[in-house]
Amino acid sequence: MATTGAAGTSRRSGISAAAPPPRVAKVGTNGGKTFNRIAVVVLTVFAVLWLVPSLWAIKTSLTANSVSALGTQAILKDINPTLASYSSLLGGGDLWNWYLASFITSTLSAVLVVLFASMAAFALSRMRFRGRQVVFLLVIAGIMVPADVLIIPIFQMLNTVGLLNTYWAVIFPQVSSVIALFVFKQFFDGLPNELEEAARIDGAGNWRIYWSILMPLSRPVLAAMAIVTFVGVWNNLILPLFVLSNPDLMTIPVGLATVQGSYGQRFSDIQASTVLGALPLVILFVIFQRRIVEGVAGTGLKG
Amino acid sequence: MSTQTIGASTTARPSVRGTDPDRLRRTNKAWLFVAPFGLFYLAFLLGPSIYMFVASFFDTSIVKTGLGNFIGLENYTTLLSSSDFWSSMWHTLQFTLYTVPPLVVLSFVFAVLANRMQRGQIFWRMAFFTPFILPSAAISLVWVFIFTADTGLWATVQKWLGSEAPSPVLATPNLAMVGIAVATVWWTIGFNFILYLAGLQDIPRELYEAAAIDGATPWQQIRHLTIPLLSRTTTLVLLLQIIASLKIFDQVYLMTSGGPGTSTETALVFITKTGFTDYRIGAAAAASFVLFLVILVIALVRQVVERAQLKGA
Amino acid sequence: MNSHPPGPRSPFSRRTLLRGGLAAGGLGLVAGAAGCGSPLAAGLVGSQLNPGTVTFWNLFGGGDGARLQIMLDEYRKQQGSADSLVAATFAWGNPYYTKVSLATLGNKPPDVAVSHLTRATNLAAAGLLEPITDETLALVGLKTSDFTPKAWEAAKFEGQSYAIPMDTHPWVLFYNTEVCQKAGLLGADGKLTKIEGLQAWEDALTAAKQATGTYGAATASVGDDSNCWRFVNTLYSQRDGAKPLMSEEGQEITMDDALMVDTLATIQRWTSSGLMPKVVDTPGAELALSQGQSAFFMNGEWEITTLQSIEGLKFSMAAFPQLYEKPAAHADSHSFVLPRMDRDADQLKRAMGFVHSMLEQGMTWAEGGHVPTYLPIFDSQQYKTLEPQADYAETATYASYDPAAWYSGSGSNFETVTGSQIGLVLQGLTTPEAATASIRNQLETYARTANPL
Repeated sequence: MATTGAAGTSRRSGISAAAPPPRVAKVGTNGGKTFNRIAVVVLTVFAVLWLVPSLWAIKTSLTANSVSALGTQAILKDINPTLASYSSLLGGGDLWNWYLASFITSTLSAVLVVLFASMAAFALSRMRFRGRQVVFLLVIAGIMVPADVLIIPIFQMLNTVGLLNTYWAVIFPQVSSVIALFVFKQFFDGLPNELEEAARIDGAGNWRIYWSILMPLSRPVLAAMAIVTFVGVWNNLILPLFVLSNPDLMTIPVGLATVQGSYGQRFSDIQASTVLGALPLVILFVIFQRRIVEGVAGTGLKG
Repeated sequence: MSTQTIGASTTARPSVRGTDPDRLRRTNKAWLFVAPFGLFYLAFLLGPSIYMFVASFFDTSIVKTGLGNFIGLENYTTLLSSSDFWSSMWHTLQFTLYTVPPLVVLSFVFAVLANRMQRGQIFWRMAFFTPFILPSAAISLVWVFIFTADTGLWATVQKWLGSEAPSPVLATPNLAMVGIAVATVWWTIGFNFILYLAGLQDIPRELYEAAAIDGATPWQQIRHLTIPLLSRTTTLVLLLQIIASLKIFDQVYLMTSGGPGTSTETALVFITKTGFTDYRIGAAAAASFVLFLVILVIALVRQVVERAQLKGA
Repeated sequence: MNSHPPGPRSPFSRRTLLRGGLAAGGLGLVAGAAGCGSPLAAGLVGSQLNPGTVTFWNLFGGGDGARLQIMLDEYRKQQGSADSLVAATFAWGNPYYTKVSLATLGNKPPDVAVSHLTRATNLAAAGLLEPITDETLALVGLKTSDFTPKAWEAAKFEGQSYAIPMDTHPWVLFYNTEVCQKAGLLGADGKLTKIEGLQAWEDALTAAKQATGTYGAATASVGDDSNCWRFVNTLYSQRDGAKPLMSEEGQEITMDDALMVDTLATIQRWTSSGLMPKVVDTPGAELALSQGQSAFFMNGEWEITTLQSIEGLKFSMAAFPQLYEKPAAHADSHSFVLPRMDRDADQLKRAMGFVHSMLEQGMTWAEGGHVPTYLPIFDSQQYKTLEPQADYAETATYASYDPAAWYSGSGSNFETVTGSQIGLVLQGLTTPEAATASIRNQLETYARTANPL
């Protein structure tokens, strides 16, 4: 693929994980220093640009509604920050209901995804059975199925079984995460067999090997999959938008998107609701930064 | 969320020791392990796909029970002769064309630059990646506010720059999609940024050092080392981006709900409108199936490309 | 991993079991503690939400929303409890009706919802509404004869009523009294002299244009498809022999193309000659009125609230003049509907009690420009002397609603199809002939499509 001779030999990664944190090569010559300086400036400019929308939302949320109604100039000049929008939102019931719905659906989905995907991956990785090839093919096919495009038939199914307007309507369609299964299988395939062999000689059954040997070894993958699922379900819009129609049951994104009446043209309240809607994820990100980044980079999950 | 990459993993270990299928124990108890996942797979992935295909030949209505009457290919012929459908496909393509190039190029630039920084990796990561994990609903509300006509942040900046009466971005047919694209680039660039950063950290440091000793300027290093070595990541990013763009729904629904008029109505917005607002499940199923096929073809291309690259590597 | 023995021996250790049991029990406890009417219980086991209260959905933003809030607060006060009512407002138009439909399908609809009459008949046809019988009305002492006959008839589907009309909201003419004074358009009473006929209207626009130096009249040509349709429907319906655009429940397009072309050519003449602005949205058109750049502004009467809030603006309102053979003005009605669900007698009575309270507070609503359909309010001395609202109340008697079709009604696909073409005509971006052909073509696609209701 590459013309450079070096390229051919370069891709023996795997070491990089263990390699020390990136150090900038000592490139004092050849304009390296100037380049680095330009790089810092360019990057800083963009990073600041990237922060503007968030800061603007925060600033607006801390301004009185009467001021933000007047527009940008008024918000910029305002020097009397107020928490009024936050207290009115947190004082109302809607937002708490939305938090509850998001928390329950995301948590239960994460638990079910991790459990079911790892179980299936265990079977595919460690057992031989009739139909294994078929299952494997279906899984591969499932990777290519765009779930969002199935919103119409999924709605019809949920309607038929009477699950619309329950949390399960959001959870169930997101449980069969083919990607999680795949990641687990890849991970199990890479684990040595010796521990299991020893356990089997001791008379351990499949359940015990799965639950007490493989699962404890899978903690990093487990955590990554759980968090990535949690974030994905929390942020999903299209599914809950159509299967949860009642404001009391809505998840955060649907609530933010739908119920505007109570806010009207009150820009500060809207931006405060945005900040509060985003806050749990920011906190989650700060705590689990590495896991999330790894999870995203490793599985290529894309919203 | 549903576009996935397999084998993109930069941390995955080579499966050498793993399992030799012949040594596996043959048992039908395996089905117990597969069953919970399989049940959900059948009920919410395979089942709906089949239902979608079947319903596309019926005049199914959301407010009537059952599939309705069999009408053959009528849903498809109506669809393919409907200007609304074609314009929604065009808007989808338009969105793809507006977002993919900046998302690939900018994220590459950011990653290459950030990778050279000795300090502040965390800061760059936070700045570029944080928006990506936020709900689309939150980011859309922020951008709708920024694009408020006349008094919004962007209109104000335009006035500072000398524009007398800037057009309201989201209310002007030609501009609305640009507005959505800008919000999208801001929102999702962190994803590509992370993928590129991971790719960059796989490139052995010594290569750069050797190049520097040979007298290569930083630009030459990027041109002849980084870009070729990251070509696999770029293909991945590109294909993921295209697939995600074809499914674009959230930002459009939230920022313009397809307007003004239908000038930002994309395929999935058209589908949900047909199914849920017009009650025409059969017709929506036909449209879904067409979109489904388009995405499937691109996903297949991706598989083929990845296979080829794996072999080539 | 090293040589440590991997985990406890039994597959499910006592500790894990205990933990699992606790978690499950905890969940049950939370559900129990939160009560069966809580969102948690509803979300997990599908139990009823907010029993004992009235849930009410609507689509009122802006001035209407503010007025509704006053009425809702009054209802809460009457009930003596803030918890007696749970109200939610959704985005206007299709998104709102989609929510109402899906919630009803999903068995969690509100007790009462607002619906345009032109949409209520479709909801009824879809089987999503409870019929409004004489017995239902009698629960709170109402009867059919309490309502304007025209509106009440419009609420019927297959001979059965499904909605309780709350108002009629016609398309009207707003005028800047100072500018009209200057242009010599006002009578001795300070009100607009009656304009009759196309010639008189164009003369008035010309006079007004001379007075303002910019425009005679303004209405949105961009950003509001529904408004464009209302404009043309008003004019088209005034013409002799103008058949509704569709008939047979939308399966036949009966638009009179020649009359439509002529109507579109007329409005295009107004914008191309500079009597009206070519490209303007609703806020822009309102600005033109308030800053004296235009004598007239056309829109729904509900804009009164916005215009009243502009300091220093002196304006009034009148029915849109009769330019052709017969009087007509586009209108629709807001109504209350009861989405289909299992209700017991108490629930029904509570819901109707709420509707009754809203109707009784009709004066508050009428101040927002809407023409009451509840006769005790409409016939009251208080409404008759309400200026300028009473000045155009007659419009309700010759209101022209959207033609009946599953794809029609306020904010519907029909209005998008027609309105977007009309917008292009006003902006001079297409010809009246091409627009008419495009409207016919697009509507025929819908007409051919099997009715999903």
